[in-house]
Amino acid sequence: MIDIDLQRTQGNFNLQAKCMIDSPVVGLFGASGAGKSTLLGMIAGLIKPNAGHLILDQACLFDAKRAINIPLHKRRIATVFQDSRLFPHLSVRDNLNYGFNLLSENDRQFGFSQIVELLEVGHLLKQKPHQLSGGEKQRVTLGRALLTSPRLLLLDEPLASLDTRLKNQILPFLRRVKEEVKVPMLYVSHAIDEILYLTSQIAIIEQGKLLAYGNFHEIIHQENLQVVAHSLGLENIICANIFKHDTTYGYTELKQGNQIITMPLVTADIGMPVTISIAASNVALSLFQLKNVTIQNQLQGVVTEIEQVGYRILVTVDIGNSSVIAEVTIKALQSLGIAIGSNVFCLMKAQSIRIHGFIAN
Amino acid sequence: MISSIFILSPAEIEALLLSAKVAVFCTLAICIPGVGVAWLLAKKSFIGKSLLDSIVHLPLVLPPVVPGFLLLLLLGSQGIIGKWLYNAFGISIAFTWVGAVIASAVMAFPLMVRSVRLAISQVDTSLEAAAQTLGAHPLRVFFTITLPLAMPGIVTGLILAFSRSLGEFGATITFVGNIEGETRTLPLAIYTYTQIPGGDMAAIRLVIISMVIALGALMISEILERRASKRIGRGSLV
Repeated sequence: MIDIDLQRTQGNFNLQAKCMIDSPVVGLFGASGAGKSTLLGMIAGLIKPNAGHLILDQACLFDAKRAINIPLHKRRIATVFQDSRLFPHLSVRDNLNYGFNLLSENDRQFGFSQIVELLEVGHLLKQKPHQLSGGEKQRVTLGRALLTSPRLLLLDEPLASLDTRLKNQILPFLRRVKEEVKVPMLYVSHAIDEILYLTSQIAIIEQGKLLAYGNFHEIIHQENLQVVAHSLGLENIICANIFKHDTTYGYTELKQGNQIITMPLVTADIGMPVTISIAASNVALSLFQLKNVTIQNQLQGVVTEIEQVGYRILVTVDIGNSSVIAEVTIKALQSLGIAIGSNVFCLMKAQSIRIHGFIAN
Repeated sequence: MISSIFILSPAEIEALLLSAKVAVFCTLAICIPGVGVAWLLAKKSFIGKSLLDSIVHLPLVLPPVVPGFLLLLLLGSQGIIGKWLYNAFGISIAFTWVGAVIASAVMAFPLMVRSVRLAISQVDTSLEAAAQTLGAHPLRVFFTITLPLAMPGIVTGLILAFSRSLGEFGATITFVGNIEGETRTLPLAIYTYTQIPGGDMAAIRLVIISMVIALGALMISEILERRASKRIGRGSLV
């Protein structure tokens, strides 16, 4: 439980964040320069806020009115930085032990070997940080932070400096941390897929303002998040179940109500509920079901809403127990004579469908 | 006949040993205050910082006779502090080897501070912050992160100070004179031999010894620095 009400003004930039975080693992999402790292720095104690308070599990860490500002080394909040920040003069073992050795026996929630095994860094213990690969560095950094038995683990874009392949190698470790050691985490990233792989509880920050906090699928449809949703191509979030895998042709079928959605092969059990998304700009409309076309997904539905946002026309189509938003041009809309109540087919290329909370094959 | 050129006279050996003693004590004496002042100048901002900075560096730019004379005024038997030391404890510093240590310490101090200050300011502050987020008190961070990472610079500073002390002449001769067996270090002995007829050979012997020691110190410094750099993970890049 984190009670955040923090403010900081720095030059022209004004950061304001107020929210009550009540779930153990939360993703903090925002574009570069939105204020994510500043907020994280204020929680860690690296940056002093101008006003407000910060309470972590009933312990007041900062309160401007009462002049409370617990120094960072007493906060028991560990941070995993993007640039790892391993101590170059110490071996991996000594890096891992750095905070661990400062704890009394009673304060230690995890054993050294437990974390070493969890993160699979046992074979690296004797090495120096400069001998490690980027992915290994981040695993050691994660272990070093976990071994301080933190009350809260802050992850500041821990994967941003890694390539996709390495990211996909580290993400399962983060999920393990979430599931096995159960340390509360605040995961900062500008990559929404990374966050959704770990948690659906998300806080969204933009231009120094914390816009929303809650379950991603619920808050993404909020009025004040439309711009964010659009910029991410997340206008359409659809919950579906895995229906069938076809390993020969490399595709997976999902069932949504009584419609079937085809997408590139993913690894997930049959029947498992998943979240997929497709950008509104990747959805086309047709008055008839098309033959002789490569587009595999043609979902039938009824137009329920037509909205103009700037030059964009957003057409909402009810496809059963979910709806799909398609972005079309005014010209196309008029020439096809689409209006509210029209029967249409939503056309989606299989490749344009993204699945969340999974590592794509 | 030739071999006798390389045989040192007792007086020359005495000068050599005295120099070594003075340099060792000088280096030991400024080690901790040097790191302390360097840390202050590198990390802290406070009123009078530039004044402290200037005072520390003064001996570098003044003619060495000036600090020597000032020391004499302060610590000499008639000096403000010197008189008090003598009356209260019976201690007399002027014209003793301890005085020679003080004179060379004053002259070597800025070299030590400069080197260490640069090293400390180059330690990545984000590493120090990371150490704090892991629960380390700032003092612990200093001893476990800052100091080890600044070690190459500290080693360089110590070697520089040691070498400066070996070569100290002006401040020493002004403050503690040129007393054989007490304050006549290598450079003073060389100077003395050049002033007496037939002393050239002895002077040359001591010059060669000085050069060997200086070269040795520089080479040791190079090796230690490389080793310290390797320890903190920088060496492999070079």
